[in-house]
Amino acid sequence: MTRIFVLAEHRLQKLRDATWEALEAGRKLAADLGGELNCILLTDNAAGMADELAKECPKVLVVEDPKFETFNSDSAMKALAAILSDKAPFMLVMGNSNSMMDLAPGLAVALDAALATDCFAFEVKDGRPAAFRQMYNYKVNAKVSFKGAEKIVVTLRGGAFPFSSGGGAAGAVEKIASPVADEAPRKRFLNYVEAEKGDVDIASADIIVSLGRGIGDEPDMEIFESLADAMGGVLACSRPIVDKNLLPKYHQVGTSGVEVKPKVYLALGISGAFQHVGGIKGAPLIVAVNKDAKAPIFRVAQYGIVGDLNEVVPALEEKIKDLKG
Amino acid sequence: MDIIVCVKWVPDTSEADLAIAGGAKDIKKDDLDHDINDWDRFAVEEAVQIKEKVGGKVTVVSVAPEDAEEMLRESLARGADEAFHLWDDAFEGSDGYAVATILAKFIKDRPFDLILTGTLADDDCSGQVGGMLAAMLGVPNAVLVSSIEFLDRKVKFKKELEGGLYEAVEMDLPAQLSVATGLNEPRFVSIRAVRKVASAEIPVIDCGELGLDESQVGPQGSKIQVEEVAMPPEGEGAEIIGGGAEEAAGRLAEILKEKGGIG
Ligand SMILES: Cc1cc2nc3c(=O)[nH]c(=O)nc-3n(C[C@H](O)[C@H](O)[C@H](O)COP(=O)(O)OP(=O)(O)OC[C@H]3O[C@@H](n4cnc5c(N)ncnc54)[C@H](O)[C@@H]3O)c2cc1C
Ligand SMILES: Nc1ncnc2c1ncn2[C@@H]1O[C@H](COP(=O)(O)O)[C@@H](O)[C@H]1O
Repeated sequence: MTRIFVLAEHRLQKLRDATWEALEAGRKLAADLGGELNCILLTDNAAGMADELAKECPKVLVVEDPKFETFNSDSAMKALAAILSDKAPFMLVMGNSNSMMDLAPGLAVALDAALATDCFAFEVKDGRPAAFRQMYNYKVNAKVSFKGAEKIVVTLRGGAFPFSSGGGAAGAVEKIASPVADEAPRKRFLNYVEAEKGDVDIASADIIVSLGRGIGDEPDMEIFESLADAMGGVLACSRPIVDKNLLPKYHQVGTSGVEVKPKVYLALGISGAFQHVGGIKGAPLIVAVNKDAKAPIFRVAQYGIVGDLNEVVPALEEKIKDLKG
Repeated sequence: MDIIVCVKWVPDTSEADLAIAGGAKDIKKDDLDHDINDWDRFAVEEAVQIKEKVGGKVTVVSVAPEDAEEMLRESLARGADEAFHLWDDAFEGSDGYAVATILAKFIKDRPFDLILTGTLADDDCSGQVGGMLAAMLGVPNAVLVSSIEFLDRKVKFKKELEGGLYEAVEMDLPAQLSVATGLNEPRFVSIRAVRKVASAEIPVIDCGELGLDESQVGPQGSKIQVEEVAMPPEGEGAEIIGGGAEEAAGRLAEILKEKGGIG
């Protein structure tokens, strides 16, 4: 009877998508493991959010404490360790958001639990769960087991567990006194800092020429600019290109960059990690040039050229100019 | 400011043609080049930049097999003051939890203000060692840190959230921060700098010297176990345009024109 706990995540008094995805995964795990499903909400003000969760979950445990107005992994870790210390066997499920990445590893240690991060699927056999996740630059799938642990923490790949409403009877909301009421957090939120805006807005571009690490350490950016010009598109990029200061951050496509929804996306020397591909919305025509025939980008692209972009890019610009006449 | 930087020695898999090893518990790694984990390069640079600004000492440490010595030596060339190589055959097959156990044991009796790690290792894609290590040592932590500033006994930093949003956070020292790529520009290492550290001593410390029991490390000391690895299903995949660069580019240009990719 493994109990399932789902940790809710919210920002600015609104539950985040990751919460619902975690609830979806939790519901399935509860059914497979035969345990009850609980949701934990740490917040300064549960109004609205607790009821919203109760519509989809049989039991919602609520801790109200001003410390939880914004996400604080230091206080959350201590509160959750206290709440869950006597609940084994259990599985705690949460998103693998940038905030939860602060929390999950330390919490696993505090609980002496086994942790698997960024899981995209689960399997239950003989009452024991196993998780599926990716390794090696997200190129290989791995199945991991928890060695029979009675306490398990898992974080979930964003988008891997699309939520659909359960439509059952409303669950119970139970308030718990804050286990960290008297503790000063060692970590304090100061303020949000918005993304820098630039002279181009790749979010509204129809044609995107996107550059990845495959363009090399000292690329001739002009050949890409002139290709983008010839296509009437804009330049975008993957994260390493911003890290190397080859393009400003507002050109970065992906989960930690900008979401784009072009008609055509030309990926040059991009491997296709999910944090990159996750930023491409609206099912555009994706075309990739990569020298690695097994690069994951070819799984999401409709057309591909396996080859060296340094040869393909100038040739492509020529051909496009020819076609335009 | 005494800073300890944890660096990982990882196979370079970004461009390699990967194959599953016999038994399907791991990939074949023998033919792969190894190097410092990309995220950790930024952690080393950040530590050295902090030292150059406010003074102190930078210690680099890795749990890694013999070959990794070159990574530790390069870290010295980049400006770290000392490096420690933690290795024992018993460490083979350690998961993130066991690695954090080893690192925590090494760090426990050393003075430090800050521990820096990368956010994620490119081989296991786990992002867990930093936070686990922090909890084992009883200090607060954060990941995806993209700029760091020191105030009196406190550190102020920017942490990356999704969609280009950041949060500014303040934290008590000592602390552990896992850095994001791009928070600095790792320096070019000159041949002179490499020569200078060519004979520097890098102590290798084994399980016994660390005071660890073999049951705490390797597969025994691990909390999770990889049962099976596989290449993801191929799916439909892209239609690959064949021919040489010229021919393929010609065909691609036509496809782009047809599908509205030429504005
Ligand atoms: C929390 C988090 C958030 C992240 N957010 C983002 C994000 O918003 N956006 C993002 O992009 N990434 C993001 N990442 C990073 C992501 O995981 C990948 O590391 C990154 O997308 C890889 O970029 P890349 O494809 O350019 O580089 P690589 O993965 O190194 O791929 C380079 C590719 O170029 C090919 N290549 C090399 N030389 C040539 C050549 N001459 N011709 C043709 N092809 C060549 C190689 O075969 C390879 O496939 C994030 C990671 C984390 C952990
Ligand atoms: N074997 C190791 N030795 C030293 N540091 C490590 C080791 N494994 C992981 N780390 C550190 O922890 C970070 C996150 O790694 P991981 O949890 O494996 O994704 C890395 O970027 C390193 O800074």
